[in-house]
Amino acid sequence: MNEDRITVSNALRRGDLFTRVSAVLMGAGMLGHRQIVKGALVLLVEVAFWAYMATTGFHSLGMMPSLGTEAQGKVWNEAKQIFEYSTGDNSQQILLAGVITCFAIAGLVVLWVLQLRHSYALQRLIEEGESVPTIKDDVKSLFDGNLHVTLMTLPCLGILVFNVVPLVYMISMAFTTYSKEGEHLILFDWDGLNQFARVLNMNGNIGRQFWHVLAWTVIWAIFATFLNYILGMALAMVINRKDTKAKGFWRFCFVLSVAVPQFVTLMIMNIMLQPSGAVNVLLQNLGLITEPIPFWTNAMLARVTIIVINLWVGIPYTMLQVTGILQNIPAELYEAAKMDGAGPVRIFFKITLPYMLFVTMPYLIASFVGNINNFNVIYLLSGGGPTRVGDTAGQTDLLVTWLYKLTIDQQYYNLGAVIGIMTFVILTVITLVTYRNSSSYKNEEAFM
Amino acid sequence: MDNQMAKNTLSPRRRIVNLLVHALLAVLALIWVLPIVWIVLTSFRAEPGAYTKTFLPQGYTLNNYVKLLTDRNVLNFPKMFRNTLIISIFSCTISTFFVLSVAYSLSRMRFAFRRPYMNLAMILGLFPGFMTMVAQYFILKAMGFTEGSSIRIGLIVVYSACTGLGFQISKGFFDTIPRSIDEAAVMDGATQWQVFTRITLPLSKPIVIYTVMTSFIAPWVDFVFAKVLCRANSDQFTVAIGLWNMLQKEYIYQWYTCFAAGAVLISIPIALLFLYMQRFYVEGMSGAVKG
Amino acid sequence: MEKNIMITRRQILALGLSGAATLALAACGGGSDGGASAGGDENVDVTVTVWGPQEDQSDDNGKWLQTQCDAFAAAHPEWTITFKYGVCSEGDAKTNIGTDPSAGADVYMFANDQIPDLLKTGGLAELGGSTLDAIKANNSETTVNTVTYDGSVYGVPFTGNTWFMYYDKSVFSDDDVKSLDAMLEKGKVAFPLDNSWYIASFYVANGCTLFGETGDDAAAGFDFSGDKAAAVTNYLVDLVANSNFANGDVGTNADAKAFFSGTWDYEKAKDAYGDNLGIAPAPSITIDGELKQMKSFAGSKAVGVNPATALYAEHPEVAVALAAYLGGTDAQQAHYDLRNIIPTDTNITVDDALAQAQMDTMDYASIVQPLQADMGNYWTPAESMGKELVAGTVTHENAADKTEAMNTSMNTSAVQ
Repeated sequence: MNEDRITVSNALRRGDLFTRVSAVLMGAGMLGHRQIVKGALVLLVEVAFWAYMATTGFHSLGMMPSLGTEAQGKVWNEAKQIFEYSTGDNSQQILLAGVITCFAIAGLVVLWVLQLRHSYALQRLIEEGESVPTIKDDVKSLFDGNLHVTLMTLPCLGILVFNVVPLVYMISMAFTTYSKEGEHLILFDWDGLNQFARVLNMNGNIGRQFWHVLAWTVIWAIFATFLNYILGMALAMVINRKDTKAKGFWRFCFVLSVAVPQFVTLMIMNIMLQPSGAVNVLLQNLGLITEPIPFWTNAMLARVTIIVINLWVGIPYTMLQVTGILQNIPAELYEAAKMDGAGPVRIFFKITLPYMLFVTMPYLIASFVGNINNFNVIYLLSGGGPTRVGDTAGQTDLLVTWLYKLTIDQQYYNLGAVIGIMTFVILTVITLVTYRNSSSYKNEEAFM
Repeated sequence: MDNQMAKNTLSPRRRIVNLLVHALLAVLALIWVLPIVWIVLTSFRAEPGAYTKTFLPQGYTLNNYVKLLTDRNVLNFPKMFRNTLIISIFSCTISTFFVLSVAYSLSRMRFAFRRPYMNLAMILGLFPGFMTMVAQYFILKAMGFTEGSSIRIGLIVVYSACTGLGFQISKGFFDTIPRSIDEAAVMDGATQWQVFTRITLPLSKPIVIYTVMTSFIAPWVDFVFAKVLCRANSDQFTVAIGLWNMLQKEYIYQWYTCFAAGAVLISIPIALLFLYMQRFYVEGMSGAVKG
Repeated sequence: MEKNIMITRRQILALGLSGAATLALAACGGGSDGGASAGGDENVDVTVTVWGPQEDQSDDNGKWLQTQCDAFAAAHPEWTITFKYGVCSEGDAKTNIGTDPSAGADVYMFANDQIPDLLKTGGLAELGGSTLDAIKANNSETTVNTVTYDGSVYGVPFTGNTWFMYYDKSVFSDDDVKSLDAMLEKGKVAFPLDNSWYIASFYVANGCTLFGETGDDAAAGFDFSGDKAAAVTNYLVDLVANSNFANGDVGTNADAKAFFSGTWDYEKAKDAYGDNLGIAPAPSITIDGELKQMKSFAGSKAVGVNPATALYAEHPEVAVALAAYLGGTDAQQAHYDLRNIIPTDTNITVDDALAQAQMDTMDYASIVQPLQADMGNYWTPAESMGKELVAGTVTHENAADKTEAMNTSMNTSAVQ
């Protein structure tokens, strides 16, 4: 029974000549089993792969352990009256080329397995006297039974090249000395887990800040997610009340702010809340305050301000998103509750909220993740400030904005990568715990 | 209206509650509308600079709009607008195709890679977005999309390449379309492709429009990636970079009011689109998360 | 406004430069065996990418960059040059070149404080020989020092980069503007205390140092500690409390009658004060009854050459010659005529108030902004100090402690 299965080992042990040859000359199995076009394509891919490996691939791999050694050189040329520079090694590009080569190899291995199994399957078809699908049949099935292959190839390729490869590359940076410390911006080396130790060490400067930033990130995400959710829902319910007049008008007022691009709103809010910005000017002109309110320079106030502005930005979105769902709540549920004499508040907590939580849990998790990684709001509003003397992270910095500061502004790429990884680990834990427990997960057809 | 009032005669208590609710809504609406009004007023303000002594402008002018649309010297807004429009049309087309394709495959087809793909998408979504930025730049450079007008292609690629990860809402919506419809069509000899294009898509107008809308807006509001890719190529700048630059130290005094004008100008089409699509948006969302 | 130009030496130099370049060309055609310069005896046909700020490339300001590049091409008929222009202000060079030097401009403009960072990413070439001689001949020693790092020169300076004071003459007399405390009695003064490029001026006034007295002693580090520094912090606590003081400038405090900035804010100052606009170096402050002159950071903006590009690998002489030309006397004169960019070239005489103020500042009210690798540790602690002062979290009680904390963190790497 085991021998009937289409596996690589069976293909190698029980395959015919063509199948076995295709272990070396990929596509041979298909060429020999009447699938000329597919076989030729696979063979072409293999040729291209080896050509790539011969020209750059092996070299890239060979450079990976050292990440390059030769520094940019400088020689004075008396005749030209000019310093001539030699191109040195660039560790960053060596690392990227290495990562890409690894992916290319992995890709080929996958293709190797697939084509080997396929040619064994073809061999079996022929042995059993069944007809082999022609290229026409294959193309046809790409629009029918195998439509997902047609539809998903390009999107997957995009994700692989522009998300997975870059991520692996960035993650690998966490294990290097790539930072401006000690002139390691062009040439750097592998550094093991040193940077992780540094971030997790509570006594070090970076470690101490990391736990502060982490705490605020989590607090922020909780406030931003749940306040937006509850208040947005409340607003939607108030507007949808039977007795509320001019529903369209109210909705319009709130939706208007959604139309202004978020980064524009945030940049304007930042300026409006400066000591001499419009808000302070207005309050001063009205005589309500004498000194400008330090929205961005007082740590506590800056945090509150950010959360409040995020409400301003987020509530209309939530309102829009939940309006339809609210209308879907079965009316019987409400009637039953009213029969029992429940008031509006009780109804909200006993019926509306549980129902909404059940239905929108994945949405909530997504928005929680979005808030942990909410770069725009913090970066454009407070820029992470105010910053305590001696810190790299401000008191409103999230992990993600701190990461940005450490990499783009200050060029501690390795530390940035470590913080990115830590953010990911924390999010994974949170998401898995909530998601696995949510009812939506257990009933996948309903959502996601 | 009178008729209605008469029909459900309100108790005094309900009338008071009603009054309070409307008062509350009015206050809230004011809070939400006021900053928008302020931006619009600022865009007509005659005095330059980001900060003024008064909340309301002292003088009004159209010059900010004129300068924004005609000054091609310092910050060529019309050109930026054209760049962004081109980029967003292409990236919107590709993204919409990607999102809907992936969503349909995951919703309707069953294949071995389905569950791993959904888990992978969730995991990838947990990484901070711009961790990939630097590497994306070098990959695009290797492909030759970082010089001159090919930067546009680079940006289109950046905005659309990974959209296949954002399938959740569309998939949720497709899930709500009864499978019996598909099955009936398949019985009649339709292929999966025909089911997708002739049945599912026409039935999913709200979510198609929602996808088009969100992917169309993306290039207008991204300033991080666009800055990394465009670097010094000012003729490739997008609107977001332009608006960002207007608030930098060198420009803010002269350009702040133009910034407001620019904000108003790009908000108008988005606002109109949004108001028109609002119904679909609500339907799309509720369809997507129906229990 | 009258501007005299001394022509003699400059012309000789210009001739000498192009002569040297021609010589170099001949030399590489003949003797050099390097593959890189194989095209030397052929007609050199190159594309040169030049980055500069937008204002230098706009019609409004006479397209300074394009004009000068064309003039350079005309002066070198032996080279066929196609120019490509990019927009990158002097302050952004570090970011835009640093991401990927090999895809950066061949010749670009930068602010001198970015030299260490640009070198770390391998995006800035050292200048030597005849080019260096010309720079030294045309600029004051102070100016040359601003582009010197570890004893080597890395750019052709074309303008000073420092800040001074704009004020309303109808409020402050000529005597008032010599003392900040006198000014505070007369009218509102705005100072960007939360900007670390500015706040150092107070500390330096009272004897704090960055990398020793001369700013080139890397081992000396920052000395912002002890009584002298604490006295300044205490002074600043009082300053912030003064109702006639505001943090920021006239843009953020429209009622400010004096503010501190550089040449780039001239238009803003003119809009604010009109005919009453006065310009002067930063005033003195009174600490322990003594007047101490505030000292702003002085740097320069310069033209640099990128050694990581394809052009530099093949025809570095074109890039270097272009940089020398863009920072040369003719180009500086044109820059001044078109955009009021105050020249560093000592052959050019200028006599307006703005230039005078900048030069006076360079003379006695500034220190050269140190070009040390560790200078990067200065900015954030100093900025935080400024922000805390403005926020009022620094008081007379904790002034000494906060100052020590600032000093400690300046002298330790930010990521220890």
